[in-house]
Amino acid sequence: MAGFILAASPAHADRIEKHFPVQSKPKIMVRNSSGRIQVKAWTKNEVLVAWTNATGKSVVQTEAAGNRVEVSTQADVNGITADDSKTDFEITVPVESELSVRTDSGNVTVDSVHGDMTFDTVGANLQLSDVDGYMVVKTIDGSLLCTRCSGKLEANSISGNVQMIAPTLDSVRVQTSSGNILFDGSFLSRGIYIMKNFSGTIEVHFSSSDSFDVNANSLKGDVINQATFKPDTHGTPHPASKWGHGFIGTMNEGHAKVELSSFSGTIKILKRD
Amino acid sequence: MNMQCEQFEQILEQRDEGALPKPALAHLETCEACRALSADFGAIHDMALELGHDEIAPPERVWISLRNQLEAERLILEPQAAPRSASRASSGWWSVLQHPAVAGAFLGLVLAAASTVGYLSNFAQTSVHSQLAFQQESSPVPAADSVFKEEVLTVGSDSIPGLQRQDTAVTASIRRNMQIVDNFIAICEKSVREQPDNQMAREYLYGAYQQKAELLATAMNRSMPGGLQ
Repeated sequence: MAGFILAASPAHADRIEKHFPVQSKPKIMVRNSSGRIQVKAWTKNEVLVAWTNATGKSVVQTEAAGNRVEVSTQADVNGITADDSKTDFEITVPVESELSVRTDSGNVTVDSVHGDMTFDTVGANLQLSDVDGYMVVKTIDGSLLCTRCSGKLEANSISGNVQMIAPTLDSVRVQTSSGNILFDGSFLSRGIYIMKNFSGTIEVHFSSSDSFDVNANSLKGDVINQATFKPDTHGTPHPASKWGHGFIGTMNEGHAKVELSSFSGTIKILKRD
Repeated sequence: MNMQCEQFEQILEQRDEGALPKPALAHLETCEACRALSADFGAIHDMALELGHDEIAPPERVWISLRNQLEAERLILEPQAAPRSASRASSGWWSVLQHPAVAGAFLGLVLAAASTVGYLSNFAQTSVHSQLAFQQESSPVPAADSVFKEEVLTVGSDSIPGLQRQDTAVTASIRRNMQIVDNFIAICEKSVREQPDNQMAREYLYGAYQQKAELLATAMNRSMPGGLQ
């Protein structure tokens, strides 16, 4: 039976903690309108939720049922401002956990969690480090910094930047309208990497040992390329688009597939130092 | 005589709050597709009831245009008078679509469908405008994408339906990004006009349309009582 707890924060900024015993691979859902959300992993089979609400004008509601833990904030009184409802969370979860985070503003950081994750934000910036799983990010103008991420990443933003640093991702689908995209890592064999924006810069770094097919095209912008590609010899020949600037080619055996496209932004394919 | 799926859909659409008639229930027993449809309608109806009645209703012309289009596409079967306000629309499935959040989600879905159809049907066309003109000549109602373009996509950053948050940062973010998407739409439209056979420009244009619909849905969704629900 589901446990259901309502806990009104006191008027001063006390830290409140709740512990939820779970089994392996719990699912943790967090909904917060404003405030920092920090998620980190530990080896215990327990979820620790700690929060601070400076004004005491929001209520934190928690619910635990088996392997599912839900945390959400609600305004305690009508008409409160974002600052009033700001609630900061520190959540510690088992390494193997699923996450679902929905927030408007305030930064979200996730460290060393392995499991599928979804993030839905308006302006909140998202920082993922050493995570592994299928990650789905939807934001309006929040940025995403993914450091040493593994698995699969889908990210969609309007004006946020997306950076992937030292990733070991085998599937990347990133789209932003006016933001910049940076991929600084290796293209894994059989990996598929699709990066698209409207304006802004798409920058990918490669090493000479990388093996990938590439199709890069910017309709109104430039493509800057430091790689030496040979013609794509895999399957059906794809003629380069007659519109815009770009090329199609293969580096080494072409094991990975890389598609880079922009409407008016610049695409840079740069050699890693 | 056994009821057919079309008859069932008609009954489902016209039903108010009461139970389904026996023939419809019998049809449900044997038709998996209609069971799924009935479940979907029920879920949407329940969600709409939970949303309350204090949202700002979009202009009536939006509903009239949408209703005409849905009738033309046989997504609803019988003409009904367009509801004049959210408070009066307490019966019939059409009332479900009057709630901004549901409508937003619905608009997104239909827009996506319209985009797909438009994308595919435009593939062999040389001009978006000639294609739209053809559709308008052959149909008494405007094409889906033109309806959304005129009625929904022209929603400006100053009049985002339902956006009544007190979180000024979020509101500002949504407005700012709405302007970004509007600018992209304008730029893409210009490109498509200048180069009607440029498939890439058309793909970006539809992508920008979809982003606007999603942004509107997000704005409405974030404005529901309780904020994040």
